[in-house]
Amino acid sequence: MTAATAPAAPPAPARPARITLPAPARLLRLELRRSIMPWLAPLLAVLFWLTTYRPAMANPPFWNVRSGMVQSHAMLAFAPLLAGAAAWAGSRDRRRGVADLVGMTALPPWARQVAAWAATTCWAEAVYLACVTVLYVVTAHQAAWGGPLLWPVAVGATFVAASCAIGFAAGVLLPGRFTAPLAAFVMFLALAGGAFALQANISYAQIWPLNVQGAFPADAYGIFYPYLPDLPIAQLLFLAGLTAAALGGLGLPAAAGGRWLRAIAAAMTAAGLAAAGTGVALAGTARLEAHGIVIPALHDAASDRPTSYTPVCAHTAIPICLHPSYRALLPDVTAALGPALSQVAGLPGAPVRVTQVALTSVQAEPSNGIAFGGPVISGRPPVLYLPLAGGTLPGQGTASAITENLREQDGPVILSALVGLPGELGAQAGSGAAEATPNPGSRHAAQVAVLDGLVKALGMVQSAPGGRIQHGTPSGANQELAATRRFAALPAAARHAWLATHLAALRAGRIPLSEVP
Amino acid sequence: MTTAGVGHPPRHADPAPRLRAGRWLAGLRLARLYAVSRRVATCLIVLIACAVALRTALHWLPRSGVYARQIPLTIEAGAAAVIGVTADSPFGEPERVAGRWLPYLRLAAAVALTGAALGLLAAGSASQPLAGGTPGLLRDLAGFTGLAFLAGAALGGALAWIGPLGYLAITLPALAGHWSTPWVWPARPPHDHGAAVCAGLVFVAGLALVTVRGARAWFR
Repeated sequence: MTAATAPAAPPAPARPARITLPAPARLLRLELRRSIMPWLAPLLAVLFWLTTYRPAMANPPFWNVRSGMVQSHAMLAFAPLLAGAAAWAGSRDRRRGVADLVGMTALPPWARQVAAWAATTCWAEAVYLACVTVLYVVTAHQAAWGGPLLWPVAVGATFVAASCAIGFAAGVLLPGRFTAPLAAFVMFLALAGGAFALQANISYAQIWPLNVQGAFPADAYGIFYPYLPDLPIAQLLFLAGLTAAALGGLGLPAAAGGRWLRAIAAAMTAAGLAAAGTGVALAGTARLEAHGIVIPALHDAASDRPTSYTPVCAHTAIPICLHPSYRALLPDVTAALGPALSQVAGLPGAPVRVTQVALTSVQAEPSNGIAFGGPVISGRPPVLYLPLAGGTLPGQGTASAITENLREQDGPVILSALVGLPGELGAQAGSGAAEATPNPGSRHAAQVAVLDGLVKALGMVQSAPGGRIQHGTPSGANQELAATRRFAALPAAARHAWLATHLAALRAGRIPLSEVP
Repeated sequence: MTTAGVGHPPRHADPAPRLRAGRWLAGLRLARLYAVSRRVATCLIVLIACAVALRTALHWLPRSGVYARQIPLTIEAGAAAVIGVTADSPFGEPERVAGRWLPYLRLAAAVALTGAALGLLAAGSASQPLAGGTPGLLRDLAGFTGLAFLAGAALGGALAWIGPLGYLAITLPALAGHWSTPWVWPARPPHDHGAAVCAGLVFVAGLALVTVRGARAWFR
């Protein structure tokens, strides 16, 4: 058989036509395959588990508590390492000695660099969002109320892009073996510096990307009112601006591309710097309010409307109603406050209901501190507003410890509000700490004596050493102490009857110490 | 020797001193070339900058609290990361095949740079309130450097920084959370023997590995 007579070969099966991607997409695909990030993904996952997942799982399944960690805890671990990895990717061409080789290709250098940054960022975002998804799915199975907060995730994801952009720019501009460690190191120092500035109460430091609602404890926001997005919006503006400025800066040198490309890069850099500056300026106007950090220029009044919910109530002498996510704390709160409430139930000015609130008042303090107001009786009919934020969450601590804590902290404050003592004086008197108050004044002496008598009778606070609770000037102290002991020794029914008759006069300061039974 | 030289004694009857001097000079030259190829001078400059940063930070930092620990630790981890990166070889396989003295050079460079870092950081923190004092600095720096060497041996010298800086990311929340495991040695008090042993073990393991195997460049 010759070639001429050989039978024709069967036709090859037709290959499916390959989709030809546009050049930037092909470049991105190449960079995605060449990136080091897939090799770093297990390390980042382990870091997320150690620094975010484990602490989050150690807390009760509250969305606000756990969501904040994906911004503050996770990014403290991710941002420096991503900056280092991106710097490593940015200095790759120079490190391998192929800068001249790839410099001759038709594609502008800036487009190549942006593709390499995009590949690193895509991998980093994928790892970060996968980790966050795992945490949120587990929380969704455990949480009794509410839904995931997405603003912290948005800030975290933008910070991922910004870290990669800053690190990448450092790698391109200063290629070398020390660039990657120094980029990561400087990022760590920058984050530490931001925390330090925040602690020094520099208002612009609120922009710090790990800052979730300032000094508010995580359980103080996002439950009774919507999560305020003012600060996250400013942070997004700042981080997106930094990203644009870093990437745009790479396109400014003459070798980066043509005139139009460089003009676009210059515009991008300018816009990025303007956005970052605007974010910082907006953060400088932030102020603490009862539901979170408010930036007037970004604040939406709709965020001030409370979230609707059906409270869970204990049917005691004065009903105690809590938010459904605090349902597990209801027996402890009832056990702690029940005795005090049963003592004052039915008295004129006594609350008809106890309602849980996020906070009653809030005040900024030095060193990025925050001070909360205690329970408040207000309204007509009077309602006792009971804040539980910053304390023990359901599932934390033992029931006896929670009950003891609430009884000693909130019980005296409720009673002092009832007898009409000014807030600070009432808190000191009820806690047995009034030794520090040299002279509460004769006008309040009877109120202090009645309050201390009630506190002592209800066992809300441990007696001072020697069983003495001292108030007033040395000459008046003995009279107050005697009145306190007399009132505490009364039977509960007699105390209640006396209060029912004299509470209005006591609150007005018209009862002298000698008339306390 | 040619016939012309017959009857004349050789110029140097005993060549040993010249050989010894030549070997000494060659050794010095080898060490210098090794240091140049690993950018040891740049590393020393960065370590000096770290010492200056530590002194500046200690001057401004509060004397107690989390920041008093976090920022010095960050600087120590940065110094260790830079030392780890010097293990990267620009020559790769040819140098490994031909370099008979390479393990000794690696060991000498690693020990010298770690000692220099310790000396510089101790000088930077002298007469300043460094939390943990010099024993804490020695322990933490040794542990961080050991991690850098381990990461260098596992991932390649260029990525050696991932070890100490990744570990630092775990350590910072541990400082606030009061972890008790000795494997998170920076969170333990400076006189904690378990923490010192763990940090020492990591340093010795890293030093041994980087001396024997070098920092293989898996990723370039």
